[in-house]
Amino acid sequence: MNVLICVKRVPLTGGKIVLTEDEQAISTRHLGFTISPHEECGVEEAVRLIEAGGGSSTVLTLGPPEAEEQLRDMMAIGVDRAVHLVTDGGEWDPQATAAAIVDVIRSEGERYDLILFGNESADAGNFQVAIRVAHALGLPCVTGVKGLSVDGGSVRLEQEVAGGRDVYVVPMPAVVTVKEGLNLPRYPSVPGRLRAKRKPLATSTPARPDPRLEMVRLVLPPGSGKQAEVLGHGAEAAPAVVGVLRELGLL
Amino acid sequence: MRSAQPVERTGDVPRRVGNEVSIVLGQRKLLQRFGPGLMHAFIFWGFLVLAPTILIALIGVVDTHATLPWLGHQGWYALLVDVFAVLVLVGVLAELWIRKVQRPRRFEGSHLGEADLILGLIATIASTLLLWHATRIALGLNEWPRAWSPAAHALSHLFGRDEATRVLERVFVWAHVLTILAFLAYLPRSKHLHIGTAAVNVWFGRTGASGRLEPLRFDDEEVPEEEIRFGAGTATDLTWKQVLDTFSCTECGRCQDACPAFATGKALSPKLLMMGLRDQILAQDSSPLVPNAVTDDVVWDCVTCGACVEACPVSIEHVDHIVDLRRHLVMVESSFPAEAEPMLRDVERASNPWGKAQSERADWASELGVRVLEPGDRPPEYLYWVGCASSFDERARRTAESTAKLLNAAGVDFAILGPREACTGDPARRMGNEYVFQAFAEQNVATLNEAGVTKIVANCPHCFNTLANEYPDFGGRYEVIHHSELLSRLVREGKLSPQRSESRSITYHDSCYLARHNDVLGPPRELVSAVGQPVEMKRSGKRTFCCGAGGAHMWMEERGDAINAERVREAAGTGADTLAVACPFCTVMLDDGVQSGGQDLRVLDVATLLAEAIDAG
Amino acid sequence: MTVLVFVENIDDELSQQALTFARGLGDELHAVLIGAPAVPAGLAAYGVSIAHLAAGLDAYAPAAWAQAIVELVARTTPAAVMGPGTDRGNEVLAHIAAKTDQPMAANCMSIAAGDPASLVRVRWGGSLLEEARLHGSPMLLTVAPHAVAAEMVAEPADLVLEEFTPSVSNVDLIARVCERASAVSAGVSLTDADVVVSGGRGVGSAAGFAVIEELAELLGGAVGCSRAVTSAGWRPHTDQVGQTGTKISPEIYIACGISGATQHMAGCKGAKKLLAINPDGEASIFASADYAVIGDLHEVVPAISAEIRKARSA
Repeated sequence: MNVLICVKRVPLTGGKIVLTEDEQAISTRHLGFTISPHEECGVEEAVRLIEAGGGSSTVLTLGPPEAEEQLRDMMAIGVDRAVHLVTDGGEWDPQATAAAIVDVIRSEGERYDLILFGNESADAGNFQVAIRVAHALGLPCVTGVKGLSVDGGSVRLEQEVAGGRDVYVVPMPAVVTVKEGLNLPRYPSVPGRLRAKRKPLATSTPARPDPRLEMVRLVLPPGSGKQAEVLGHGAEAAPAVVGVLRELGLL
Repeated sequence: MRSAQPVERTGDVPRRVGNEVSIVLGQRKLLQRFGPGLMHAFIFWGFLVLAPTILIALIGVVDTHATLPWLGHQGWYALLVDVFAVLVLVGVLAELWIRKVQRPRRFEGSHLGEADLILGLIATIASTLLLWHATRIALGLNEWPRAWSPAAHALSHLFGRDEATRVLERVFVWAHVLTILAFLAYLPRSKHLHIGTAAVNVWFGRTGASGRLEPLRFDDEEVPEEEIRFGAGTATDLTWKQVLDTFSCTECGRCQDACPAFATGKALSPKLLMMGLRDQILAQDSSPLVPNAVTDDVVWDCVTCGACVEACPVSIEHVDHIVDLRRHLVMVESSFPAEAEPMLRDVERASNPWGKAQSERADWASELGVRVLEPGDRPPEYLYWVGCASSFDERARRTAESTAKLLNAAGVDFAILGPREACTGDPARRMGNEYVFQAFAEQNVATLNEAGVTKIVANCPHCFNTLANEYPDFGGRYEVIHHSELLSRLVREGKLSPQRSESRSITYHDSCYLARHNDVLGPPRELVSAVGQPVEMKRSGKRTFCCGAGGAHMWMEERGDAINAERVREAAGTGADTLAVACPFCTVMLDDGVQSGGQDLRVLDVATLLAEAIDAG
Repeated sequence: MTVLVFVENIDDELSQQALTFARGLGDELHAVLIGAPAVPAGLAAYGVSIAHLAAGLDAYAPAAWAQAIVELVARTTPAAVMGPGTDRGNEVLAHIAAKTDQPMAANCMSIAAGDPASLVRVRWGGSLLEEARLHGSPMLLTVAPHAVAAEMVAEPADLVLEEFTPSVSNVDLIARVCERASAVSAGVSLTDADVVVSGGRGVGSAAGFAVIEELAELLGGAVGCSRAVTSAGWRPHTDQVGQTGTKISPEIYIACGISGATQHMAGCKGAKKLLAINPDGEASIFASADYAVIGDLHEVVPAISAEIRKARSA
């Protein structure tokens, strides 16, 4: 089985977000980086599928040179190879991202049985790259998956909805976006990390087309202007809390 | 041991000689428990003194009238032999009494039958020696006056100058020699092997701070990847010192008695750990050490406080075994308590175990006039290494605030690194993730070296231990002091003047990483005395009882009774109104202990105590 | 200007908000409903003049549903097509965008028509906003939850119903729901609860959640947790509140021992009121809280439970 998982390098933002002076990006000085939580589960799923059924897994990212760190981290968990579409770190809108991914898949000539994405990226959250890629490749696409099992040439997918789970069964090849909760990502071993340093990584530098969803600038949401009402310190605040609950009619 | 892994333990010869003299000859560690220690000393010194009598006896077996040249004729030696033979018997009887009547808990799990046999053999050897001498005196075969062998002389009255005694003289010397030979034959198979291995193990013990762990190497080009050592997974992964440790164990249980995990009902006993490892080595069992020699629980219960190492009379370094077992579990098997996973991931990705944004690391200092060192700035005299706990935990933060205010008040030239200060890596290292630790060691050393830092003051003993003892392995050599050392010096020099309160009774809790691993005992006590009336707990100084946060336990759940509750009870028992600490982990753990135990104790860092006493003045 | 809104469920707050939002953009409001069992009452109350009902597509199949709307768009040429910022809303609009090769802006807070249109959309689950321009026609977007409050019109028009049968290819029907499995968890669901009580790192252990569960039960609420708690293995992922967990909108959210990382706050933006209980007075969660208690949850939460019992028995 041949699985592709697409990921995106994002900063770990902590308690508050700070913007660069030109308002074009988050200031990442002193911030650590990771991939979106949904994608972590996707990578874990890809590795499990290959462990169970044999084949090969590939991790792909469109991002700055530093994103190699994330690709090596994913290979440390067990992904076999990586593809890095290197950018200068600037914004790529969803259409451009999807087009670059489709280009490289076509040019590789790889036939992927499953192409996995996170449901949405943690930062931009556009919800569309996977769907656009599926459409361009003529593949069915199921999103928000929290349960996945392969059966012969099909894959059974479960999506959480109000009151239960919706089930889809689609033939492969297919595009699937997953949500955190699908599985528990493993902790990488050190031999895994050392091996990852030497696993194959293919790079290319796609040209960025003009954006059609064009970011003008980033803005911090207006403060709620809220000043929290301090109900008290320690256990002595309990009566005040109950007072608030009563006021809200929740008691 | 020939097939075991290498470790470097040959430098620093003068210190090693010193250890041999004080620990082996002087029985220093054994005498930590004075009664049993003295009894053992009698037997040990007796063994040293009586050693030549083995030769004398062997000669005596062959020729009744011959003896060792020169020594066999020395009256003073005869006296020593006589006295020590009696002392050996006294020692054996006392030890039998301890084991059979008193039955201390530390012997739980030890092979008591073997010990009894050994004591019996020793008693037989000493008594047959005395009886042999007694019969020789009765037969007029000895050559020096009675005063030189009082005990043998007293016994000689049991024997007449007759044929029966002549026979008995032969019987006793043969019995003596045969018992010794039997003992020598039995020796390698028993725990009594320690008489061979102990002195050697002491020689090869650590000469530097016990807080320093041996690094692993991941980047040696000459070592193929499959042979990189990732800690101890099977018996062949252990280093020769670790193997020697297991063979030096006499099952005395002093380590078990000192262990805070064992004291609170957990599975870990350092003694049983050594015995379990030894058994697997002897059985040449190549299956995984965890869970076959040692269970998972045992490995994770340890708080790396080093009380076991401090108590061990033969310099066994149990913490090394635990950490190497952890290293294999974490780095190769990815097997560790689930609740520690967020901490490991956060240290690696966010550079601190709290997972908070590094950009917020200096927020505590924003209104205190503290210089944050940026790249290219003039280096300060002291780099104040704040540590993750004091930067992000609200209780530990008070220590940083107090320290900064005090240093400013005393006019000390200091600065902090702020967001550029990444975790020292101590929690990752103690968990066994050596790989992540080394990445941070290298990063921090680069930051410190580029900034031109030469002196560091740290308020956290874990940071202090790592910066002072472990970073030199990664190219970072700095003069590192604990904040209590700097603050007490400032008080002595009159730059800080606290107002002392006679009525304030303060008990000081020694932090394991400060007192035991690094011998810093005086300065925090100076600060306590400058502020109030000190009162000591029984388990203090190098015998301090852990707060429970070491060995990355700050982030792990605890099974069984709480170590911190145990310690807080002890503190409250002194009648003090304040519990002084010198470590952010101790601050949090002991304060938690007081909150749940309800004792009337204020838990405060010595810096905060000092700051309060100055403000009050 | 005509605006077409994909109404997922007229009884759901988010679809109502989408219709309200749409009214701010255009004066003629059309709705498209697919797979709806009957004509839902209430469309006119939110200003819809024409409701297009697609027939023959009962099971959810995103590509097919999108195709139906694409067909409708070709016929009715609205200036904008939008949907609620729900999983399905985003998915259907994304398919429409892929099929028509047009840009789509998900989770918009506001939009102004123009050439290009300019909009403000949500990033980082709501912790950051993006001002952007949309170079496409018609405008394709979804409405960020709670960007506007749902508001009915003063004088609903007479609703015109138009049924149509879209022609959908088999390919578009490959990915469709074939089965509904029932929910695994019992108890109050996080998404429906009026009260959610959550615990973070400060809880300290799985067993420590007992006090949280107690309070939640007393208030008839659900128990939630932060991502650190799920990673530590103390609670299942289904309890996780956050950007990649469940997004909740209770009357009150009681966050205990949670410091307020943006990831987590993105999950509780919909809460009407937020009470934060944390020993650290400087914790960032207090900046978003309505009420604050500074203290250890292990002391505070049981005290609140005790006080509630007292108040009820009195």
